[in-house]
Amino acid sequence: MSHKAIKVGLTSLVLSLAFGGLLYSTMGEATEYYKHVDEVMTQPADWYGKKLQLHGYIVQDSILKRKNSLDYKFKVHSNGQVVEATYTGVVPDTFKDDAEVVLKGTLSSEGFAVSPNGVMAKCPSKYEAKPGAPTS
Amino acid sequence: MAVLGSYLLLFTFMVAAYAAAASVAGARRRNTRLIESGIGAFYLVAALMTVASGIIIYAFVAGDYSIRYVQRYSDSVQPLFYKITSYWGGLDGSVMFWVFLLSLFGSVAVRVNRERHRELMPYVVAVISAVEMFFLFLMIIHNNPFETYLTQAPTDGRGLNPLLQNFYMAIHPPTMYLGFVGLTIPFAFGLAALITGHLDDSWLRAVRRWTMFSWFFLSFGLTLGMIWAYEELGWGGFWGWDPVENAGLLPWFTATAFLHSVMVQERRGMLRVWNVTLVIITFLLTIFGTFMTRSGVVQSVHAFGDDPALARLFLSFMAVVALFSFGWVIYRLPLLQARHELDSWVSREAAFLANNWILLFSAFFVLFATMFPTITEMINGERLTVGPPFFNRWMTPIGLMLLALTGIGPLLAWRKSTVQNLVHQFLFPVALGLTVAGGLVAMGVRVWSSGICFALCGMVFGTIAQEFYRGANVRRGMTGTDLFTAMVGLVGRNKRRYGGYIVHLGIVLMFLGFAGEGFSRDEQLLLKPGEEATVGRYVLHMDAIRVTDDGQKQMVTAHISVKDTDGADLGRMYPAKWYYRKHEEEPTTEVGIRRSFAEDLYIVMPAFELADQTASVEVHVNPLVNWLWVGFGIMALGTGIALLPERALSFAAARVPAEAVTASLLAGALLAGPAMAEAQHIDGPASQLQIFSKEVKDVTRKLACWCGGCSKLPVGDCACGHCALVKKEVTQMMDEGRDEQAVLAHYVTPPSEHSKDEVHRGESGHVLLSEPPDVGSGRLAWMLPYVLGLLGLAGAGLFAVRWTRRPAVVPAGAAGSAVSPELQSRLDDELRDLD
Repeated sequence: MSHKAIKVGLTSLVLSLAFGGLLYSTMGEATEYYKHVDEVMTQPADWYGKKLQLHGYIVQDSILKRKNSLDYKFKVHSNGQVVEATYTGVVPDTFKDDAEVVLKGTLSSEGFAVSPNGVMAKCPSKYEAKPGAPTS
Repeated sequence: MAVLGSYLLLFTFMVAAYAAAASVAGARRRNTRLIESGIGAFYLVAALMTVASGIIIYAFVAGDYSIRYVQRYSDSVQPLFYKITSYWGGLDGSVMFWVFLLSLFGSVAVRVNRERHRELMPYVVAVISAVEMFFLFLMIIHNNPFETYLTQAPTDGRGLNPLLQNFYMAIHPPTMYLGFVGLTIPFAFGLAALITGHLDDSWLRAVRRWTMFSWFFLSFGLTLGMIWAYEELGWGGFWGWDPVENAGLLPWFTATAFLHSVMVQERRGMLRVWNVTLVIITFLLTIFGTFMTRSGVVQSVHAFGDDPALARLFLSFMAVVALFSFGWVIYRLPLLQARHELDSWVSREAAFLANNWILLFSAFFVLFATMFPTITEMINGERLTVGPPFFNRWMTPIGLMLLALTGIGPLLAWRKSTVQNLVHQFLFPVALGLTVAGGLVAMGVRVWSSGICFALCGMVFGTIAQEFYRGANVRRGMTGTDLFTAMVGLVGRNKRRYGGYIVHLGIVLMFLGFAGEGFSRDEQLLLKPGEEATVGRYVLHMDAIRVTDDGQKQMVTAHISVKDTDGADLGRMYPAKWYYRKHEEEPTTEVGIRRSFAEDLYIVMPAFELADQTASVEVHVNPLVNWLWVGFGIMALGTGIALLPERALSFAAARVPAEAVTASLLAGALLAGPAMAEAQHIDGPASQLQIFSKEVKDVTRKLACWCGGCSKLPVGDCACGHCALVKKEVTQMMDEGRDEQAVLAHYVTPPSEHSKDEVHRGESGHVLLSEPPDVGSGRLAWMLPYVLGLLGLAGAGLFAVRWTRRPAVVPAGAAGSAVSPELQSRLDDELRDLD
């Protein structure tokens, strides 16, 4: 009986160590910091090059779009801090002045470069999802 | 109506409490009459919940907008079908719908098993009643769907979110709930078996079908969710590892594991602790899924309500359930000893074990990754997130391993496979898999994971085909019929096994769909009328952008003609944006899809500029995606066969048991939906967009909404009917020339007058509190329902204990007989071990 317990224990230990190691190593590249604009912009240099999910509000009348292209330039603010962001691609319906957005991308001295499909706008009103219901 | 509903819920709570108390007391006193009365009360809960559901549906159909829930999720122009489905459109109603389904399921389960599993019944009733009590309690004190407006009742509703006005979305939640709620039944039986100590395999037989049935609806619900995401959300995919999706997937993993490991216990008497544990975990995960999506503990981009009070209630419930059930598992460990040891790692049971470990690991991995932001925030205050790539990176190999096991498991023998036996079994499937792999390499496969997936699909297909062919061949030799008849007979003789293989076949096809995703491509274009673009083998020509209005919504449609690169006409596609009345801020994206088994051409128009007639168009080419839906259809067929009753030897003589009746009736009712929705679609009166000026928005953003459904959003941002009225009032006042301060003063009394309370002032100048303030005596009012609920629970417990105690004073003879069934069952188990 104890022999079996040792076998089971050892197997689980090895498996969990292996999975833990794998998890840890893959986690490093996959994680993104979820930050508000003001948290990042007080010490912007600390965040250069890191993967971020930046939460903020679009500054009024700041959305500029190059004609006949999908290039956008806009400003995002929260608690008085502002950052300029650039993006190329299709934006969601709710991407408007004052909208609450989460941007995926990286920060550099030139501003926040949003990665492709990295603009997520929050729905203006609450939408209750059901269990299992994928929502957008 | 609303008052009746509220009291009905209270009364139902009491009846459920009685059912729980009477059953436990009856079981412990061996008092048949008390047990019977408990079961009677249990049926009464179902009846009462049916009436309550009738009331809320009536309120929706009749348009009783004084009830907040009705006002929030429907309006007068909504088609009847969606008025009815609005019942489960929001939190409060969905909780009620949950209890309703649970009470119905529970009643059917008790009715069917009443004679066969007499000794388990009282505890099954008690466990289900306790779960019902929790949800009823939740409704009564926290999410009462019958809550009415205290002040002005709006004259019309806000309308169901247009994203949900979709056939799939209307039937997706109920199928999901059928799955979730159905999984409560195995839990109740498992716990009853633990409590009574009747831990032989009979409880497993009772729940096998229920688990399969719930598993089917869970799969159906998940698939519907995928179809909905694919057709309605317009991002080109079907699964985004969103917390809400994951919530549904978690119990699916463990339920799948249970369905497999059950067989090991039946055949070999092993994994008994494991099976009970799986049932408990599955139930906990269904509750956890509900909790995760409702309480705002996991934040995603999607705006869920942040509701700490609800979170606390759910957490306490889960903690109690976990402690109670695992406590019983530990207490009953001596009775749960395995009857056999694992003979060899090259055996069917080892394959099942591996499958179970992988499925359980998947569940915990998905749980971990979904909760990761919450976990990291708790540990160091830093919110770290992981995205879909992380999930895919882990789940792709895990999925492939599971797929491989699907092919390997059925080929291994129980107990131990010999080398000769392995060669005989594996030759054809492996050869088929290698042939597919070779073909792919020769064709120059681009994506490795997809290539491996295709090869494995080939192998699993080989396994299934071989099983069918060999089985049918043996049968043909025995009966002298042709191969096809033999095959039908084979399935008829062993429905669970061959039904299971058909489910596997469905899984293989679904994996084809998943693998196809590796080859998908997408492009973003900016098109003007007359312009052309080439994507893959398609040439898209933008004809025009048109605006139309059908009364319920305004539609902006791009007309695009599609040709292939040779110039052959493939038809026209119409991606569009729809602006529903009252929901102009949330337009829905209507996708243009050209389906084929090889690939879908999927066109979305996320943005457009009418002024210079340009449209941003997103084009996806999704290979093999339709095999997902086909695969699900085959899976459903397989489950149906496995669920057929044992007696149904030939299809003509099939007699349908109670479970199957509910399943087919429900499935029929669900599928009858589209016809109804189509027939009852009414075009409302022509509408105009109602847009408030920026000034009004600014002012109203400073007011908090108290409609109760929106977590106190600013009035300017909330879209409920109450806020629409306030916005109108503000517009009027601003038009009269009042400035912002004056308008705000109209609604809010200065802080000095009313301390910290947020107060709404009605038109007449009366101060109206929408809720009791959370200070001083107001706290008492807040605490009252909690105290009452706890008192009710304590009372039920007390009665159960008191009623139970009485026989203790009866002479020793009676007490001796009370112990005997436990001994009896242990004796039974040991006797069985001997043979």
